[in-house]
Amino acid sequence: MLVGLLVVSVLSACSSAVDEANGSSGSDSGPSDGGTLRIGSTSDIVPATIFTNSSDATNTLIGAVYDSLIDYPLDSLEPQPRLAKSWQVADDGLSITLQLRDDVKFHTGREFTSKDVEFSVKTWADPTWTVQLQRTAAAITGFDTTDPHAITLKFDHKLSNIFDLLDMLPIIDSETFDQLKTGKAYVGTGPFKFESWTPSSKVVFSKNDDYWGEEPHLDGIEVNIVSDPQAQVSQLRSGQLDLVTGASNRDLETLGKDSKFAVTGFDGAVQQIYVGADLANPDLQDVKLRQAIAFAIDRERIVDEVFRGKGTPINLPWPDYSPAYDAKANETYTYDPAKAKELVSQLGSSPTIPLAYPAGNANYEAVAQIVQANLEAVGIKTELQPAEYSQFIKQLIGGTFGGLWILQHGYAHYTPSTLAVSAYPFNADKNASHFVSKAYKEHADSAWNQVSGTSPEAVEQYKNLNKDLLDNLFLIEMALLHFQTAETKGVQDLNMSKRGELDLRSTYLSD
Amino acid sequence: MGAYLLRRLPSALVVLAIASFGIFALVRMVPGDPVSTLAGPDASPEARAAIRADLGLDQPLVTQYVAWLGQLARGDFGTSYRIGGSVKDLVADGAVNTIVLTVTALLLAMAVALVCSVLAVVLDNRWVNATLSFGNTLAIALPTFVTGLVLILLFAVVFPVLPAGGTPPDGFLARPDLSVQYLLLPAVCLALGAGAALTRFLTESLRTELRQPYVTTARALGISRRRIVLTQALRNALPSAVTVLGIQFGTLLGGAVLVEAIFTWPGLGGLIEEAISGRDYPLVQVLLLLSVMVFVVIQLFTDVIHAWLDPRIRIGGAA
Amino acid sequence: MSESLIDIAAPEAGSPGSPDDQFDHRRRPGIWTALRRGKGLAGLILIGVVVALGLLAPVLAPHSATEQIPGANLVGPSGAHWFGTDEVNRDIFSRTLYGIRTDLIVVFLAVPIGAAIGILVGLISSWWTFTDVVAQRLFDLVLAFPTLILAIALTAFVGPGLRTVFFVIVAVELPVFGRLTRTSVRTVREMPYVEAAHVVGAGSLWQLRRHVLPNSMEPLLVQLAVSMSVAVFVEGAMSFLGLGVRPPQPSLGSLIRDGVRNMYDAPFFAVGPLALVVALVLGLLLVSQALAEARRA
Repeated sequence: MLVGLLVVSVLSACSSAVDEANGSSGSDSGPSDGGTLRIGSTSDIVPATIFTNSSDATNTLIGAVYDSLIDYPLDSLEPQPRLAKSWQVADDGLSITLQLRDDVKFHTGREFTSKDVEFSVKTWADPTWTVQLQRTAAAITGFDTTDPHAITLKFDHKLSNIFDLLDMLPIIDSETFDQLKTGKAYVGTGPFKFESWTPSSKVVFSKNDDYWGEEPHLDGIEVNIVSDPQAQVSQLRSGQLDLVTGASNRDLETLGKDSKFAVTGFDGAVQQIYVGADLANPDLQDVKLRQAIAFAIDRERIVDEVFRGKGTPINLPWPDYSPAYDAKANETYTYDPAKAKELVSQLGSSPTIPLAYPAGNANYEAVAQIVQANLEAVGIKTELQPAEYSQFIKQLIGGTFGGLWILQHGYAHYTPSTLAVSAYPFNADKNASHFVSKAYKEHADSAWNQVSGTSPEAVEQYKNLNKDLLDNLFLIEMALLHFQTAETKGVQDLNMSKRGELDLRSTYLSD
Repeated sequence: MGAYLLRRLPSALVVLAIASFGIFALVRMVPGDPVSTLAGPDASPEARAAIRADLGLDQPLVTQYVAWLGQLARGDFGTSYRIGGSVKDLVADGAVNTIVLTVTALLLAMAVALVCSVLAVVLDNRWVNATLSFGNTLAIALPTFVTGLVLILLFAVVFPVLPAGGTPPDGFLARPDLSVQYLLLPAVCLALGAGAALTRFLTESLRTELRQPYVTTARALGISRRRIVLTQALRNALPSAVTVLGIQFGTLLGGAVLVEAIFTWPGLGGLIEEAISGRDYPLVQVLLLLSVMVFVVIQLFTDVIHAWLDPRIRIGGAA
Repeated sequence: MSESLIDIAAPEAGSPGSPDDQFDHRRRPGIWTALRRGKGLAGLILIGVVVALGLLAPVLAPHSATEQIPGANLVGPSGAHWFGTDEVNRDIFSRTLYGIRTDLIVVFLAVPIGAAIGILVGLISSWWTFTDVVAQRLFDLVLAFPTLILAIALTAFVGPGLRTVFFVIVAVELPVFGRLTRTSVRTVREMPYVEAAHVVGAGSLWQLRRHVLPNSMEPLLVQLAVSMSVAVFVEGAMSFLGLGVRPPQPSLGSLIRDGVRNMYDAPFFAVGPLALVVALVLGLLLVSQALAEARRA
């Protein structure tokens, strides 16, 4: 200890690592150019799953390096132009024609054409890339690329969620594709260029000076992989990072109260946390028990205490701007322990049901213990089973939970039909709940098979889907969760895409 | 000597071979698999099958094992599933970071041990001894994760003089003055336990040395206690301390797992934890094989040293 | 960690001093005297306090370990909650008291079981050369792996939980005690009085029981105390890494981890469990040091 103090006092004479990490102060208010934004992310990029929406570093990479054809605003499903200037969906809903920008270049200097769109769609249709919207991409079977600045996509069947795909799909460069697979190069048309990747350490980007849109203010981005949420906060506080994406809700709350930091919430990339039920367990087969569980859960408390108010209690996964949103239906199962107890008393036995959740995650652990207490209060005994993430996923895919589980899912903030055909827990053909219903499959398929995702016909189908979900309760939704970042006050004009990718096109660093 | 070494070599190789098969099988027996983890929950069965084929996991086990051995023979340690990148690079980078941290901690521990033990023995004051002894036991009793977090809280958050974690941005050699600052907290945290153990051992050794006849003679001749300790006793006590040092190095490597987690130091500890939890077969296999290899080499080394010291073993008698 | 503690507690623990040819009654009181003065007493008191708190938990704790009190979310220390409440509205004081019990199970059950099995294996395997070589290699192999790596690997197989912590402790203590016993056995076996006994016709088992075991008693006791302190540490480290007891069961290690997670918002959280862990480890170490010194005296 003595030695330590001695060294520190000597070192304060030399340059300080902390000062260097803090970086120099920029100019005052107003967009200023320059500076590198240092982001802390919890998971690293995995080249094999670069198109799966599974890691925050990957999301930042996709958002920085690539453009999509259209952009959804965060709170609606009205497509806005990006690489596509305008579009027409055919009346029979079996094709779409898009007019593309002619002033776009890839980072290698090559011009962007309709052939690149075809390549990107086909890549997403390839099952190896485990893209959530793979089935939708695979339903595009015809490509007309005679005009380099326009493309017609022909579908196998009507696709109500075609714009979901076009919002998410990054336009990839076919020439450097081999390097993409090994993590050596990511070439797109986006506002930043990929410079380098040091596994488990950092990903570095630099400004694209030839960007077709407005030139970014930042000189570059550095994504540092810091897997411990608390370490992210420590490094934010000590000035080593400018922005963190993985801080816990409580830390975000504290940082929000600190004048040196700002917390930004994004309504775009919402996730839903739910309790899943494995119907293969005979105890869970009686819908009354599942209803009891739905009435027993204190959703308000979970949102207030675990997520610090940054969420909304729900029964259905849709946010309020979704065409499938139904305010009344969303209150079918309110917090009513008395009703839950009554339902439980109508059942025969009271067995102990396993309740699984991914270990090592503070939120899941807290929610699981609250749910356990809620259920015990109405007479349902559960046994907590934290499982290592990889084993948890295996159980999810294999449907071997044998009881209840707690997890989050996304994709409900897009066109509602996307959820049933892309998110595994909702899949009508095969899901972890072993829920099989002809009616559900029919409704899911017809919701998908529409010309438009927001037409009155589609909304009718969504009503059917909602009824299926609420009547069967193979997944009991608890809350809608908002994504937040914490950053130093100097980081201005931060945005996010609907897919959960940081949108840094207009971000700048001031001081 | 050379002949003895050659005689021992085949058995060492056999151990390695058996270990490689054992590790290979063991790693695949663990529940959970890399395909599901990679594919994620929303992937379709075709996607998972495609990934499985891509990783070569749909082949029969024996084929996979032989393929792996072939790879190793060519010096190709494979590609990590989860982290991406060649296993060789990942392990090399991790090893460098862990070794830098561990060696620094060892040096710190040695320095502290030398200073404290010499002070204790030279001053020979009841209070000094009691304080040092108590501090010693406390340093061992405090869990690493506690000291680490307290250090971060004190020196990086409350008084922001040192970084809260991570490694120097441009590598260790670019800016040595910065490297020291990044190394300081994790090395201190790691060195506490080993430093305490070394201090205790060295103090005992010095005390035993001071009971030797030559010391009495020297004192009678009027040489000061301090001089005796610093010139004679220390030199005689150090060799056995070196053996303890060796054991401490091993312990330090183990303690590095926690310290690397707390200070987000990208070393082997964090790597093996990530590899096991991601079921990253190539990475786990190589890391485990590496540990077995290190163990076998050390065994071989100690056996050879013993043989060199004791001709009976060399010729073939009982140990 | 186990190796370093062997060295600080008793640098010569590996080589039992000078065993007498008889089970010496005059030396036995040494242990008890050591425990009644100075370090030994201090250690015993510390251990005693912690054990008492744990055993008296049902009487002392105002709430149960899993009771969630509505509205009391991460409250600071107050009259109603001496240690405050945690993020799931439970009283930390109560959880700490009940958490001691988990550690007591680990310390006073897992370690002795591991020691007993280790001693047995050590005794039996070291008597014949072939089994001795095999056992020693296996022991060295297990000891070569840092404890936490072993813990991580084992958890990958069995899943997190108290059972896993138990297995890890037993797995780590087995070779430590096995090796210690083996050294004793080998040394005593070379002694002339054992050779004499053998000549006279005494069976191996009798020799083991009559000569070897009693003379190894003291280093084993010292090692037991050391191993117990290590066990507390291991439980803490495993729980800290998320590999320990399953919620909602409390243990001192998992409480420290929860406290550390809320370090910025609730700095008071981990103080109580931490103090108890330090007290327990310190107490066990002091006892082991006192025993070691008594032997050498």
